[in-house]
Amino acid sequence: MKPEDMNKADFFTSIFLFLLGLIVFIISIGMPTFRELGANHYSAPGIVPGILGIILLFMGVILFIRSFIRKGYKIQLSFQGLIKFLKNDSIKRFLVALFLSIFYVILLGKINYFLLTTIYIFLFVWSFELKTKKTLFFALLEAVLIAACISYVFRYLFLVILP
Amino acid sequence: MEGLIQLGQELSKLLTPRLIFDVLWSTQLGIMVGMLPGLTATMGVALMTTLTYKFASSHAVLILICMYIGAIYGGSRTAILLNIPGTPANAATTVDGNPLAKQGKAGRAMGIATTGSFLGSLFGMIMLAIFTPIIGNAALSFHSFEYFWLTIFGIVICGSLTAPKDPLKGWISGFLGLFVATIGMEAMHAYRRFSFGNVELAGGIQLLPAMIGVFGFSEVLMVMKQPAVEIVSNKIEKVIPNLKDIVKYWKTIIRSGFIGTIIGAIPGVGEDIGAWVSYDFAKKASKEKEKYGKGSIEGLIAAETGNNAAVAGAIIPVLALAVPGSAPAAVLLGAMLIHGIRPGPLLMIENPTFIYQVVAMLFLATCAMFILGLSFIRVFVKILIIPRQKLMPIVFALCVIGSYALSAKMFDILVMTVFGIIGYAMKEMDYPVAPLVLGIILGDLLDSNLRRSLILTNGNILSFFTRPISLVFFLFILITIFSQMNWFKNLLKTLQLFIKKLFLKIKMS
Repeated sequence: MKPEDMNKADFFTSIFLFLLGLIVFIISIGMPTFRELGANHYSAPGIVPGILGIILLFMGVILFIRSFIRKGYKIQLSFQGLIKFLKNDSIKRFLVALFLSIFYVILLGKINYFLLTTIYIFLFVWSFELKTKKTLFFALLEAVLIAACISYVFRYLFLVILP
Repeated sequence: MEGLIQLGQELSKLLTPRLIFDVLWSTQLGIMVGMLPGLTATMGVALMTTLTYKFASSHAVLILICMYIGAIYGGSRTAILLNIPGTPANAATTVDGNPLAKQGKAGRAMGIATTGSFLGSLFGMIMLAIFTPIIGNAALSFHSFEYFWLTIFGIVICGSLTAPKDPLKGWISGFLGLFVATIGMEAMHAYRRFSFGNVELAGGIQLLPAMIGVFGFSEVLMVMKQPAVEIVSNKIEKVIPNLKDIVKYWKTIIRSGFIGTIIGAIPGVGEDIGAWVSYDFAKKASKEKEKYGKGSIEGLIAAETGNNAAVAGAIIPVLALAVPGSAPAAVLLGAMLIHGIRPGPLLMIENPTFIYQVVAMLFLATCAMFILGLSFIRVFVKILIIPRQKLMPIVFALCVIGSYALSAKMFDILVMTVFGIIGYAMKEMDYPVAPLVLGIILGDLLDSNLRRSLILTNGNILSFFTRPISLVFFLFILITIFSQMNWFKNLLKTLQLFIKKLFLKIKMS
């Protein structure tokens, strides 16, 4: 990431951290202390997360000040910029890998594991290769073989329950 | 003497055909995992943990140690041949390993790397055998105050060393990890923190799925985002190293072994820092500084000795304090707990032979790594031609199984996915992920010991600073934090100048 982009990322992260620390602290002080049951108030469940919330809040403030000094607040968002970002080859590869993987996770347990893994591997391989009949055939063959191998090895050799 | 006898006995128990076969295949698998960019030692050990769940405890730990050692060494092959470290621990190996390969000396470089790794691992193993009982005995005098400061020290030092350019990000990562550990049912009152009525969250965030996500899935995303690497075929000639090369740099080997072990023993820091620090020290002390970066044999030996010595170094605090020295060591700690072994100061009392077992396992794994490292290189290097679009979905499928295998919960797969995305975002924004994982591991230790300490002293925080070991930890933490600040660096420089002038005055008078 370029330094100016890093400063912008730090600016947003600092706000997130500050809010996270604040929310954690507020939830923590609202946790019961169990004093009515005779417990020592220093054993309250909210003590440690409360302290951690304050520390995260404090670090968020430091990061905010630092990113502000480095002009991280200068965010120039534009539609063209977003389109250019999405058209970048690296981002396209990342998004394809991410969405295919999330799609796989969502369908796990709902579809037969072997079939789902075959589809996932096939789509993954085919998305990044040249779209010819030969690559289609080999992608499908590899997907079937690999999914079968994984299913067999883990189910029958390592005795692992498959999702 | 008694220790050596004990070690011999434990070693003889491991020398059965079945166990030797397991040592060989798990070390070879580790080497292959280490070789492949996108697969890290942590991932390899984490996946093997879930797969060896049904094995006997000593058998499982042996396989994991072999995988660990194999993976840390295995990354040197891609580092040398492709200028891409197979694991972060081999980043320093690329600096001199790849230039040697470009000079047509790939085989020689790999032989040197294998020997350096072997010697580093042996050195670390000896240090583990000597220092683990000493540290464990010292830790018997630790109370809740000392454990509290130990966890904070671990986070602070890990954050500083894994993010040297911006330690604030390292500390943020560490404290975030500590917070993640507070999610779920807490130990004292069984109160469900931050679960928002969700039964799955009430069980907390399990370490292994989070680790597999942070180190596995995030790496898949990172690898797919980068442009494809063109594999240039590199002829590999003779691999067996020249003894002259090893004997000439014996001082470097011992220095790197020592540095690697010490760095490995620092909580959460790991083999990559061990390799870089060993490399830096070797360069500063070298009479051939000009060769560094251009194919220095000494530089290559220093990097590989340092990173493999750090493996045994990372296991020292696991056994003595139940605090991991690196991410793979954290998984090893988790595996030991799963198998009913309780590492920590009481290990010396409850299971004193276990340390000797671990030393024997390290020895076998190291020997297997050396033999396999010098054999079948030309065959197994072909694995590098597998295109990433075929390898990465397999890696992700393994991440899914690895997360699911332990508890058969879909929630763990979700945790792995979410932490994978978080890990990717952190890496993009230069936040180190090792402190996050260390925070998750140490969170329970911090929580229970802080509250216990406050209960014991009825809220009097002076006790945190008046106990001698606590005070030492506190001062180390302060020095680690302040050493990153410019005013402190300037103050140190001023002090140095003042002391120099004082000595000059004394000399002249």
